[in-house]
Amino acid sequence: MADSKDAGEEALRRLIATFQPSFLAPNPALSETSRAASRHLFSALRPFCPKSPLDQLLIDGFDAEQIWQQIDLQSQPLLSSLRRQVKHFAKNPEEISKLKVVPLGKKVEKEQREDWVEESDGFDEELEDDEEGEGKGGEEGMDIEDEDEEQGRESDNEEESEGEDEEEKGEDGEAGDGGIEDKFLKIDELAKYLEKEEENFEKAEEDTRGKKGADDEENTEDDDDDDEEEEEEEEESDEDAEFGFGGEDAAGDMENARYEDFFGDKGKYSKKMKAQLHQESEGSDEEDDDMKFKKQNKGTASTHQKQLEKIHSKIEEMEKANLEPKTWTMQGEVTAAKRPKNSALEVDLDFEHNVRPAPVITEEVTASIEDMIKKRITEGNFNDVQKAPKLPSKVPREVKELDDNKSKKGLAEIYEQEYVEKEDPTSAPLSFRDEQKQQASVLFKKLGLKLDALAHFSFAPKPVIEDMSVQINVPALAMEEIAPVAVSDAAMLAPEEVFEGKGDIKEETELTKEERKRRRANKKRRFKAAAVKRMGKKVQEGALPNQMNG
Amino acid sequence: SNMVLSSMEVEAAPEAKPLPPKPKFEPLKPHEMSDGQFQFRKVSVPQHRYNPLKKAWMDIYTPIYEQMKIDIRMNLKARKVELKTRPDTPDISNLQKCADFVHAFMMGFDVVDAIALLRLDELYVESFEIKDVKTLRGDHLSRAIGRLSGKGGKTKFAIENATKTKIVIADTKIHILGSFANIKIARDSLCSLIMGSPAGKVYSKLRAVTARLAERF
Repeated sequence: MADSKDAGEEALRRLIATFQPSFLAPNPALSETSRAASRHLFSALRPFCPKSPLDQLLIDGFDAEQIWQQIDLQSQPLLSSLRRQVKHFAKNPEEISKLKVVPLGKKVEKEQREDWVEESDGFDEELEDDEEGEGKGGEEGMDIEDEDEEQGRESDNEEESEGEDEEEKGEDGEAGDGGIEDKFLKIDELAKYLEKEEENFEKAEEDTRGKKGADDEENTEDDDDDDEEEEEEEEESDEDAEFGFGGEDAAGDMENARYEDFFGDKGKYSKKMKAQLHQESEGSDEEDDDMKFKKQNKGTASTHQKQLEKIHSKIEEMEKANLEPKTWTMQGEVTAAKRPKNSALEVDLDFEHNVRPAPVITEEVTASIEDMIKKRITEGNFNDVQKAPKLPSKVPREVKELDDNKSKKGLAEIYEQEYVEKEDPTSAPLSFRDEQKQQASVLFKKLGLKLDALAHFSFAPKPVIEDMSVQINVPALAMEEIAPVAVSDAAMLAPEEVFEGKGDIKEETELTKEERKRRRANKKRRFKAAAVKRMGKKVQEGALPNQMNG
Repeated sequence: SNMVLSSMEVEAAPEAKPLPPKPKFEPLKPHEMSDGQFQFRKVSVPQHRYNPLKKAWMDIYTPIYEQMKIDIRMNLKARKVELKTRPDTPDISNLQKCADFVHAFMMGFDVVDAIALLRLDELYVESFEIKDVKTLRGDHLSRAIGRLSGKGGKTKFAIENATKTKIVIADTKIHILGSFANIKIARDSLCSLIMGSPAGKVYSKLRAVTARLAERF
């Protein structure tokens, strides 16, 4: 380490000694020396900024810009803390003697600081000269000078532009460095501070709560020094007046001591840590632990906040939903017009089905059906519709069918028969058309007799089927008595049986033209209906209709 | 004397001569009616009835000679059937009846059917031609004849059975044998057939007619 230190110092000295315009041209040897010098300076300043993520300035393979960034990373808080300390010492010169000895070689740092201050004074002139001739090539050489420039510029700029944050950093740095123990011991200062804070708290209630971190930092800084308080308060109040922050947190400071008060702004640190993580390839355990601890602290605080946010957002959502009208599913009876199109398809509705669900056709089902079919076929059990027998309501009129065959009787016999029927009505022949039918009826009568004998002649009364016989309209007495002594006018048939009143009453000769037409039309209609029926029958039987040529 | 009697005087009637007894005349015999002369009827035999006559001669001869007491003989040379009254012919109308009977046979009727003429008085024969009803020529005429008889003669038989008549269709001539009313019905049916109505129509008409006839008695 001493060698490297020496090497670093050597490099520094060499740089100082070089001819300034030589920085303008790119010179690898010069860049090497300047790198080494900057590293030396960096490591020298390292003990003074405990929060910096870099232990060493990384030089190998790094760009000028990257090196510059590293330096910047270290120098920013350092500068602010230095400024604060300088102010502090300016106010309280006696404290300079009370300076504690930092175990990490503070003496050396002290010396270095003094030297650095001198060097800085010396450098300023050089810097001013060099500023004019700056180019890109001279960036590397300008690292140190840039640092010094920074110090000069930043000290001016920060106060003007950046303002609060850096001051806070500086102040935090100071607080983080080691002012805690001292402050807690001073109880008198505490008491005084409390009084002042109570006054501030009243002001704070009126103002809005602005930046938490910023305000807290400001207020914690107040704890540091009684003397500084006023100034700082003034500064803060000035700053507050500038930025509109209230000192509200100042009053509740002791009660709501927060992480930020002691350890600085979490947000900035988190960013820095992230940047350092990206840059550093290796990290010591201490750094890891520190980072982890810081991360955790940041996590718990922010997760709580996150939870709060979540809950708030949820609450807002729910309130919003309550104000709006409900969805149609929650509205009770809803007609199709009141809900969006096809919305019922997306919802899983539950309602009673009054119909049995359609049967699922599986192999078993088809097999069972086929078995049933086969069984029915073998049995011959077809559910054929059978025509209900129509009961004869009226005696069907005996239709005398026209006999197409040549009559076997001669004309004389026909007339003879007619004469005999006329004379003796009872000798009318049976109304059977066929002799075969006659024979059949005789046979059946014999059979019926035998069956009745089996049932001991106690049979159910015969259903009333009216006799299909031609009632000859002859005088009643003539039927009963053979010798018609007195012929009665009363006929066997009642008048309505003789003639119902239906049918054509008027003769053809009596009809008018319209009536004749009407008759013809009716006949045609009846004939057509009968023809259709006949055609239907023939189609049923499968026979083609024969056209009869008359 | 037809003198006016002023007072109520009763003239003694002259003694009436007893009137001669009422003459009792017996009815004139047909022979006597014709002043003892025989009556003749001659019926010509057409060509196509010659053989049937030969076959049915005895059926014709027997009832005429035995029951009607009319002499009958066949004049082969003249091809005529000759009928002559006998002195013991019971009725003067017998001859006419027999002549009608034979004439009916010559028209084409069967002996069995023609015999009815002998037995019943009210039977007549009506003849008419197709051209009397409607002037038909050539095929139309043939078709009309076909319509009249029907397939196998069934239309004709149907009419015969329904109306209790006998019909003979001899080419264009039609003869109907039956009672007056029945002849009318049969004639109407045949005329409608000639005019062109189909057989079914004629049947339905016949059915109605016969039903009415049957209901009458």
